[in-house]
Amino acid sequence: MPSHEPNQRSTNSSHDQHRPTVLELRHVSCVYGADRPAITDISFVAHEGEIVCLLGPSGCGKTTTLRAIAGFEPVTAGEIRLEGRLVSAPGDLVPTEQRRIGMVFQEYALFPHLRVQDNVAFGLQHLSAGERATQVRVMLEMVGLTDLAARYPHELSGGQQQRVALARALVQKPAVLLLDEPFSNLDPDMAGRMREDLHDLLRRTKTTAVLVTHDHDEAFAMADRIAVLNNGKLEQLDTPEAVYHTPSTPFVADFVGQADFIPGTIENGTVETEIGQFPNQAGYRSGAQVVVMIRPDDIHIVPAAKSFAHIVARQFHGSENLYTIGLPSGRVVHSSEPSTTVHPVGTPVELQVNATHTVLFDRNTHL
Amino acid sequence: MNHTATVKPALPNSLSLVAVTVVGLLCLPLAYVTHMALTADAAIWSRLWTTRIPELLFNTTALALGVAAGTLLLGVSLAWLVSRREFPGRRIWEWALVLPLAIPTYVLAYIYSHLLGAGGPVESAWQMLAGPDGHLPSPHSYAGVTLVMTLDTFPFVYLLTRAAFLNLNVSYEEVARACGASRTGTLFRIMLPLMRPAIVAGLSLVVLYVVSDFGAVSLLRYQTLTYAVYQQITGRYDPTAASILSLLLVVVALIFLVAERWFRQQSRFFQTTGRYRAPARRPCSPLGTALATIYTIGVFAASFGIPALLLIQWSLSAIASGAVDVRFFGFVWNSAFLSSLAATVAVLIGLPLAYLASRRPSRLNLLCLQAAYAGYVLPGPVGALALLAIVSHLAPFWYGTAAVLVIAYVVHFLPAGLQSMEPALQQVTPNLEEASRSLGFGTAATLRHVTLPLVRDGFIAAWVLMFLQSMKELPATLLLRPVGFDTLAVRVWLEASEEYYQLAAPSALLIVIMTIPAILLLLSKDWRAA
Repeated sequence: MPSHEPNQRSTNSSHDQHRPTVLELRHVSCVYGADRPAITDISFVAHEGEIVCLLGPSGCGKTTTLRAIAGFEPVTAGEIRLEGRLVSAPGDLVPTEQRRIGMVFQEYALFPHLRVQDNVAFGLQHLSAGERATQVRVMLEMVGLTDLAARYPHELSGGQQQRVALARALVQKPAVLLLDEPFSNLDPDMAGRMREDLHDLLRRTKTTAVLVTHDHDEAFAMADRIAVLNNGKLEQLDTPEAVYHTPSTPFVADFVGQADFIPGTIENGTVETEIGQFPNQAGYRSGAQVVVMIRPDDIHIVPAAKSFAHIVARQFHGSENLYTIGLPSGRVVHSSEPSTTVHPVGTPVELQVNATHTVLFDRNTHL
Repeated sequence: MNHTATVKPALPNSLSLVAVTVVGLLCLPLAYVTHMALTADAAIWSRLWTTRIPELLFNTTALALGVAAGTLLLGVSLAWLVSRREFPGRRIWEWALVLPLAIPTYVLAYIYSHLLGAGGPVESAWQMLAGPDGHLPSPHSYAGVTLVMTLDTFPFVYLLTRAAFLNLNVSYEEVARACGASRTGTLFRIMLPLMRPAIVAGLSLVVLYVVSDFGAVSLLRYQTLTYAVYQQITGRYDPTAASILSLLLVVVALIFLVAERWFRQQSRFFQTTGRYRAPARRPCSPLGTALATIYTIGVFAASFGIPALLLIQWSLSAIASGAVDVRFFGFVWNSAFLSSLAATVAVLIGLPLAYLASRRPSRLNLLCLQAAYAGYVLPGPVGALALLAIVSHLAPFWYGTAAVLVIAYVVHFLPAGLQSMEPALQQVTPNLEEASRSLGFGTAATLRHVTLPLVRDGFIAAWVLMFLQSMKELPATLLLRPVGFDTLAVRVWLEASEEYYQLAAPSALLIVIMTIPAILLLLSKDWRAA
């Protein structure tokens, strides 16, 4: 498998390539005062019907990127195109209301003085009253809120409010739907259900969407492609599977799931580490200092009386047991075992590593 | 002190008794006026209905509506300007625009009566343009009073609307824009509807202020109910007719209050939710900057700048001519003595009321608190009338003493004080007091070591507020003061009535100067510089 260079843009989801491009960011930067995170040289495209997730820790610039697409933040370099039209460039800004975007806010921002149906109808002023009512009815049906059309926002539950916000954005048939942490105000159970509903709705309406989240599970569940951001820079843009299994930087590796980093040295064409040998997939020269990234699901443990490693801790996660293994050097690694495999803490264990799933990083440039 | 196992305070009943007594006294004037009016001879009622009442009701309502419209326009536009646009000097104007609150209506009225009067500076300037026969409408007219009251009260609307603009969730605006609404569309379809409760609250303050104002209408000779009550007492000494007009005035004020309450109930769902993000202020173009600056400076100059400069100029020449003498300092002492006495009494009376209502909200205690707000609907001359009648009936030997004046102040201004004291007490959660009790402190010790230190600021603010309002009070002071016992406010009014503008200036200036820091102090509590 080829290794990934940092910032490499991948379009390996081949089915997207012959769909028209809806949204394009070219080398976009936004710089302001100290209170708002800046973004530097962000480039990506979203094809028709595609769901792109902007994933990263708070302050990484993901919301700034979203707001730049919406036209709430001016760009200081680069350009943004929507449906082929230039909408943002330094000193040149098409107002939000002329961009054909839909937006769903973290706190939904339903207009509290308007009923559900009037909230949904808000963006349809240009239509006749009859046409407007029809579209609102169809949309409310689609999100399953027909019975609540005459309610006020404060009379709805969190999940219902979110569906109203979605309906209000989708009824305008936006070129691209922007969602800012849409599930963070819901309890985990509800968030899971809403995730499925939203995914289904976006697919049915063939809506292009950009979704901001800090939760990698959410990104994995929703996205066709994930853009991982850190410190205002795009670290990787790839399918969820590629982001998880072949992260391009240690940051991405660590952010999208549990990962251990084991130092090693290239000797005789293989990577020598404390826990064994790994193939030198990236072709580093002999003597190079590298680190090996390993996911807990690629490490299997077997109790072995004379082993050098032993169990330090066990966390029960329901569907799995996550073991922390102490190595002689004092370093620890993690192993994910089936939920029924229970070993007591202190048990000496042997590690069996699935070597095809490891990723190498250069120790000098990355750590 | 109570160190035994029982946690029940030892003094609830005596405290409730005090509260009920106090509230009874506070409500007595209102009850007395109502009684006098309702037992009046039917002939007096019909005489008033056919002669004075239609005109007075019309004038009062017209003035209230005119000023409401004016303050709505000024207050909302200025609030929008300082909270949504950025232009040089915006920070200064943002707080400078509340300064007109420091000028009592009678001071602004007398200054405008000079400025716009026949032969005044504005008319002179106009005659240079329009020739010697050019005349402007007199300030002694509906237009003149409306202008003065608008300039004096627009900060109420400005302040509440500005706070609403700053607290409004920015996401509403952004989502409206994302739905294709323009900036103007967003303002009128989303922001103003959401801010309606704040704007209405500001307007209702303005209307209550206008309806009960005596200073401006008396100096500009505009016949409203308040002014007529005063004239009935002083000019004709007809307390019965005065009480009928008073009752009418109370009813008008009540209608506004109830309407405002009702509206607030209706729009309870107008709560803004979600995280707070400061709204972005859009920079103005050069032309926009010029327009914004001219507009703000114009309003500020008309409502505060020019009046303040005139007062300073007149005061200086009055001092030069020796008008600031021993008598003047006597007036200062009278004002300060009466006002601090009234404020202290009001805080002591308000404490048990606010405490009981927030700590033991039984129906009786809440009723007491509500009843204490009766003074709100009791405009100055009406309260004075009631006290005059009660004192001359029950305790004639008290008539013409400073004590009656202090009672009048307390009845009138306690509601304003309570509004500052009650939230202060509510901030102290009962848990804090219970924690103190669990640590072995008794009721009294808890009050002294926990509750009082926590509510101190709110109570100081209440004291300052009531002190200043007593200091500025005019109609009740005019009617109830002991012979020869003039306050600063009375001096301003007396000199201004005789058009001795310069002689009135030092007293007026002193009132304004004392009020400014207090206004800034009260504002700083909830002033969010976003």
